This record gives sequence, C-alpha cells and structure tokens, in this order.
Amino acid sequence: MPVTTLTIDGTPVAVETGSTILEAAQEAGVRIPTLCHLDGVSDVGACRLCLVEITGTRKLLPACVTEVAEEMEVHTNTEKLQEYRRMVVEMLFSEGNHVCAVCVSNGHCELQNMAVELGMDHSRFSYRFPQRDVDISHPQFGIDHNRCIFCTRCVRVCDELEGAHVWDVAHRCAGLKIVAGLDQPWGDVDACTSCGKCVDACPTGAIFRKGSTVAEMTRDRGKLEFLQQAREKGEWTR
Amino acid sequence: MAKTVSIDPVSRIEGHAKITIYLDDRGEVEDARFHVTEFRGFEKFCQGRPMWEMAGITARICGICPVSHLLASAKTGDKIQAVRIPPAGEKLRRMMNLGQIIQSHALSFFHLSSPDLLLGWDSNPAQRNIFGVMSADPDLARGGIRLRQFGQKVIEVLGAQKIHPAWAVPGGVRTPLSDEGKQWIRDRLPESKETIHKALDLLKGLIDQFSEEVRTFGNFPSLFLGLVGKDGLWEHYGGSIRVVNSEGNRIADGLSEDNYQDFIGEAVENWSYLKFPYYKPMGYPDGIYRVGPLARLNICNRFGTPEADQALQEFRDRTGGTANASFFYHYARLVEILAAIERIERLVEDPDVQNSRTRATAGINQLEGIGVSEAPRGTLFHHYHVDENGLIKKVNMIIATGQNNLPMNRTVAQIAKNFIHSQEIPEGMLNRVEAGIRAFDPCLSCSTHAIGQMPLHVELVGANGDKLDEVYRH
Amino acid sequence: MDKVRFATIWLGGCSGCHMSFLDMDEWLFELADKIDLVYSPFADVKEYPDHVDVCLVEGSVANEDNLALLRQARKKTKTLISFGDCAVTANVPGMRNPIRNSADAVLKACYVDMGDTNAQMPEALGVLPRLRDRVQPVHELVSVDYFMPGCPPSADRIRNFIDPLLRGEEPPTEGREAIKFG
Repeated sequence: MPVTTLTIDGTPVAVETGSTILEAAQEAGVRIPTLCHLDGVSDVGACRLCLVEITGTRKLLPACVTEVAEEMEVHTNTEKLQEYRRMVVEMLFSEGNHVCAVCVSNGHCELQNMAVELGMDHSRFSYRFPQRDVDISHPQFGIDHNRCIFCTRCVRVCDELEGAHVWDVAHRCAGLKIVAGLDQPWGDVDACTSCGKCVDACPTGAIFRKGSTVAEMTRDRGKLEFLQQAREKGEWTR
Repeated sequence: MAKTVSIDPVSRIEGHAKITIYLDDRGEVEDARFHVTEFRGFEKFCQGRPMWEMAGITARICGICPVSHLLASAKTGDKIQAVRIPPAGEKLRRMMNLGQIIQSHALSFFHLSSPDLLLGWDSNPAQRNIFGVMSADPDLARGGIRLRQFGQKVIEVLGAQKIHPAWAVPGGVRTPLSDEGKQWIRDRLPESKETIHKALDLLKGLIDQFSEEVRTFGNFPSLFLGLVGKDGLWEHYGGSIRVVNSEGNRIADGLSEDNYQDFIGEAVENWSYLKFPYYKPMGYPDGIYRVGPLARLNICNRFGTPEADQALQEFRDRTGGTANASFFYHYARLVEILAAIERIERLVEDPDVQNSRTRATAGINQLEGIGVSEAPRGTLFHHYHVDENGLIKKVNMIIATGQNNLPMNRTVAQIAKNFIHSQEIPEGMLNRVEAGIRAFDPCLSCSTHAIGQMPLHVELVGANGDKLDEVYRH
Repeated sequence: MDKVRFATIWLGGCSGCHMSFLDMDEWLFELADKIDLVYSPFADVKEYPDHVDVCLVEGSVANEDNLALLRQARKKTKTLISFGDCAVTANVPGMRNPIRNSADAVLKACYVDMGDTNAQMPEALGVLPRLRDRVQPVHELVSVDYFMPGCPPSADRIRNFIDPLLRGEEPPTEGREAIKFG
C-alpha cells in the first residue's frame, strides 16, 4: 500500500496514497466540520464547510474532495477558516426558509447543530425568503424544499446505495431544486422503492416521514453505514 | 363639535392596542373604539404546510396560551384523520390544559391586575406593576409567582418545556406522565390550593370596595357562550357549546363546533385588526356575547368538585346568579384556578395518565376538520381544509379574545361615559379604561395573532374630524 | 450601586419570550434588587424613557409601529439585546415573507376572504399601523449588541445571560445552552 505523509495541524500523519484530506484527518483524529459528506457515498464538495488551508496555496480547499500530497501542510481550524465556516452556515440559513422553532427536525438537525458548533447566534446576511413548496404526495414520506440545503446526500444515497436514482438536481442559481423523477410529484415516481434511505440521509428537516410533527423527526444514520459495510465487506449483521 | 380621545398603548394587557373615544357636540361620550394594532397572518402563511405541523406552528400564535392552540389544532387533526384518541391521550391533554388555565389566570390576576387592585388605579404608574407588588406585598407576589410556576410546571412535566411544547399531536399526545412528574405535581398541590384560597379571600374582601367598578366596568346584558360537559358540568376541553342570556336562560344548547359557522358570524371593521364575532341568529352587532371565565361560570350547572362547587355557589350569591358585570371576570378566574387544581388532584391519581398508549395514528381521512377547546380566555376554534395528502389549503381560527371584542368596546364606552362629561379628560379615567379592558384579560397576541405594549395617548376628535385635544400619559 | 435601568419591548411576536422571562419565577425577587423596570409590557410606563441601560427586544419588525418603537429604543438604550428567535431571525412571523405582496395578501385572506359581515381591508388611516411587506429581524434595521436566540429562550438561558450582564460581565454567547435556535 503506497503511503503519503503529511502534517495536519502540525501533527505528522501517514495515509494511503489517494486518500482525501478529510480521510486523513479522520485517521489522525482531527475533526473537520462537514454537512454534505456522508460516510458510504461519494463526496461532492457542495457545502464548503470542510474548507482547509494548505501552506503554499492561496485558495481554501474542500477537504472531502482534495487528495493528500507528500509533505502537504494542512491547517484545519485557523481563525480565517472559522470565520469562513460561520459565514457558510449563515448563508445556508439565509438562503432557504429555516424556521427551527416549527421544524420537524428541531433538536435533531445537523444544520442547527453546526450553527451552535460554529458560534452562529445570528445571520449577518439578510434572509432571502424564497418561495418554495412542500411535496407530500408520497404515501410515507415528504420533502419540504424550504429546508433543503442542496447537500445532495439524498441524490447520492438513492443512486449509489439503492440504485434507483429517483432524486436529482435541476435548474441553476436561485432556481436550484432537488427534483424527484422527471420533476414530478414524489408520489408519481415509479422508480422510488420507498426504501427510506434519503430520509435517513437528510441532514435537515427537508425530507421527513409523513405525519412527523414539530421536533419529532429523528434519523437512523447507522443504517446507511451498515448498508455500506455490508456491501463492501460482506458484514451482514448489525 | 365632537372630539376623540385616544389611549395608546393600553398597557399590562397581552397585546398591542389603542383606544379612541368619540365625543358629541355637547362633549358627552358618543362612542368608543378599542383598536387592535397588530396582525401576523397565520391564516395565510399556514397554507401549504403539512397538517401535522399545524399544532407546532399555531402554538406560536401565543406565548401565553400556546397549549390552547396546541389542543385545538390537535383536535382538528384528530377529525381530519377521523380517529378517536386513546383515553390516556384525552386525559393527558386535559391535564395540560388545566395547567395552562392555572398559569394564565395566575398571570392575569397576580402579575397584571393585582397592581390595580392592591395599589389602586391612581397609584404611581412607575410602581404599578408586578415588581411594585413584590415590594408592597411580597407574600402575595411570591404566592402568585409560585402558583403560575405550578401551572407552567404541569405543562413542562408533560410536554418537556413550559412554552410551546410540541406534545399534543393529531391522534393524541406523545408521552404520558412520568413518575417524577406525578410526584412533583402531587407535592405541590397543597401549597397551590392554599394560595388560591388566600387569593379568593383577598378578592372577596376587596369586592365591596369596588362597587363603583362592578357597576361601571363593562356591566351590561349580553349572551354568554362556552363549552359545557355532560349534565352541564364546567368544561374546558370537550363537551358541547351552550349559549345563555343575561338572565341565565339557555338560548341554545348542545351545539357542535362542527356547525360553528351556523351560529357565529365574523364582522370586520376597518379600524381594528381584531374581528368582531357575533351570535349569528341575533345579527351584528346585537349578537354580542362574552366568552371566558365569566361566561363559563354563567353557563355551567356546576364544577363537580367540592371546593369549586362551594366557591361557585358563593360566586353566584355575590354576583346575582348570572354575573353581568365584567369586573367579575377577576373573581371567576380565581374560582376556575381552584377548580383546575381540584381536577388535577384527581387526574394525577388516575392510572390512565401513565398509560403509554397515548396516540392513534392514521392518514388523511377527511378533507376538513374543526377543533375546539376552552382557552383561558374563552372558546377557541380551529378550522382547516386540507388536500388529499394533508397539505393545508385553508385556515380559519376564531380566538377567545376576538369574541370579547364587542364587549370590550362596549366596556370602554361605558367607562368613558361614566367619567367624561366635558371636553376635559380626567386622568383617573385613562387608568380605569385600561383596567376595564384588563378585566377581560385580552390576549391580543392570539386574537390577531399579534402582540405588544401601549403608551396612553388620548385624542379628542371633533365632529368634523379635527383633533381638538390630546393627552399623553407618560 | 445604582440599579440598572432595564426595559423590555415587544414587537411582532407571540409574547412567549416575555412569558419565559416571567418563568424565572422567584429569581425575579433577586432581579428586583438589581434593576428598575423602566419600560415593559408588564409595566404602565407609556413612553420609552431616556438613558436605559439594558433593553430586551422580543419580536420581529412587522409593521411601522414596531419599527418606530425599535428605533426609539435603540436611540435611548446602551445595550440592546435581540431576544428570542423572532427578533434574531424573523422566525414564524417571517413565514409570510415568501408570499408576494405579503402585507396585502395576509390581510385579504383574513379580513376579506374570511370575514362574513362588512368584509373589508382594515386600513383606517392613522389608526392602524401599516404592515411591512417584509418581516425583518431586529439587527437588519438597527445595531444590536447581543443575541439571545430560542423559541422562546428558556428561563435558564435568560437568567444565565442577564445575570452576568447586570454585573457588567460578558454574557455567554457560545454553546448549545446559549445559542441554539428553535
């Protein structure tokens, strides 16, 4: 196994060549905040929370999709990064319509937790208040586009783990939207197997079990990890 | 030359409001208007939300009585799902509502109104608040604070938080009463009862001093409307709607909330964000009716618990059977706290409230539902239309305080007529007008789904619309 | 030591934050030793006074009256605190913002579509404050010194915040107990 050595926050680390900085950090026990990353599916660098500084590079790079290189010096928690990460979370809050108080995921939300972790007590960006809708045409589940942060976890678990590819991303810029099937009501999409992986993957209250009331929605992340282990390593017990 | 007098804002009530008094050419009061100035628009922005979120959203209509909205919304959800909720669910919902009646009434009496009653309408305004009472009569204030705490804590032990607990849901409630919760409630019951008996004695002692207020603070005939239980028992959660007149005669009985539109109309005036509900068979504005503690005591046959029944008998003896004086709202509130404590005493020992079968689940089985509950301030209706998936299409809510809108306006006019006899506005009148409104304990947060505080600004407006005089109270 | 001149104001919100303030229960007695309540919905003072040390602002800015009171409070107050989610984010009152011409749309839904006698827009001139089309958090309109989110902030959170503040120390602004929304 070819190995690459680098330093993360001053600590030397040796990891398999081709690993990402995020994987290297995990190996070294260094926590880098993430939202769009989900163990078991590919990374896309959508949320920009895992940005790191690399000595000699002026750009900030997303740790989840940047490969390690020999003698790389990675800094994961500089003042500059803390400021940028807090801005990222503030932008996520101001981009959509996130009303924590009346959200099904209140108290169990990765975005809400991230705001706490990064010390966000208000948003310095003014709220956009976009007009978005809610689709609860599926018999078991619903999607509230107001609460979507376009992490695309749902797209990836449905494609890569379930193999159904019900979800995809449509339109651009302010019109960006996660769509089911050919931009149909979710309940009309025959390809959906109702497996619920997107429900377990969603970091916010965007995808939920129908009938969930405020603060009631919890998710089983372990299930996704188990499925990945089962496939890759043939471990079929949990 | 007519004039108007405005009071802006009206303080120590739960909301934003102002008052205008219109004088005729002779300087006598012709009319008075109580304006509610806040509005948030829940009816509109709830459209498109999943029905299951409505309890949590509508709880945010009001931080004083979120439980009322929680329950009315959950009951509307029960109907849309066409489920009968488990007995534990109903008993637990009742228990939370009783906790809320206690905390809200305690707030109204001790925190908001006792400054007037104890320190006097004409006392120093800077002291005329709960902090003033805390230094003038610390024992009373402490008792009141702890009584409100008892009610809030009943809500918290059931729903995990005191304000906006997301606990009642379509089909029932989320969790039963825990052992620790049960113990806490049991331990605190005797003290709470002692406090309310003391407060009742205090108020009864004061009533004779307030004969003038009894006579002039909204003392007029009207209908009274509210829920009653089986055999006319005092009710706060279920039962059916009864309407009685000012002599106590039943005008209607056994009405269902499902048909509220047959007997309640909603009028709009362009000078208030608060609508004017009226009893439809008598038309607008003749169908003036009152809701809330005074109405509930006037319409029920009895409480069904010994101490409250005794208190009710005494209340009726003192108020002449059917109480028409709005000042007696204060008295009725204290009697209801006693009744709520007695009912909690019974409920907490009922094994059902610890049963874990608290919730029925179902899909959308009806496209329309109407739920009702008795909020501390009176009967509350929620009415939703949904699509076949359960997304809200249309919402209407008839809020307790709204139903007291006509009576509050009449109260203001009555007090003004009693005090104003020239183009001068006597200082004492301003306080009394506010106190008259405070008797209704209006919750404008709910009623227009709004809130705030108000300085006192009185405007005297002439018949030609000119402003003739203006008084600010700082 | 002089008492802190303390005020609370209530804009477009449900009053839940003020209720949570009262949920500090018997600690209010201790608070009474430290503050003079110079303006509040709990008190009878009608005009926002000068030289206020600390003001808690509950609610979002939803109409012109809200804005006028907020500006007055800012001008006359040393330390202004955005108190609760409505003040910090616009929260539930802000749910009308995505609606086009939201002020007219919400009024029409309530008073025209659902009034059955005299159905009309309540817009008597000079009486009712005009609704703003966009409900905004407090800090988008005036500068804010501290933020205390929560719907409502629990009584413990409020106490943990104002207790050090009244002693002239920095209040906590980090961690789940201090800043979680909702």
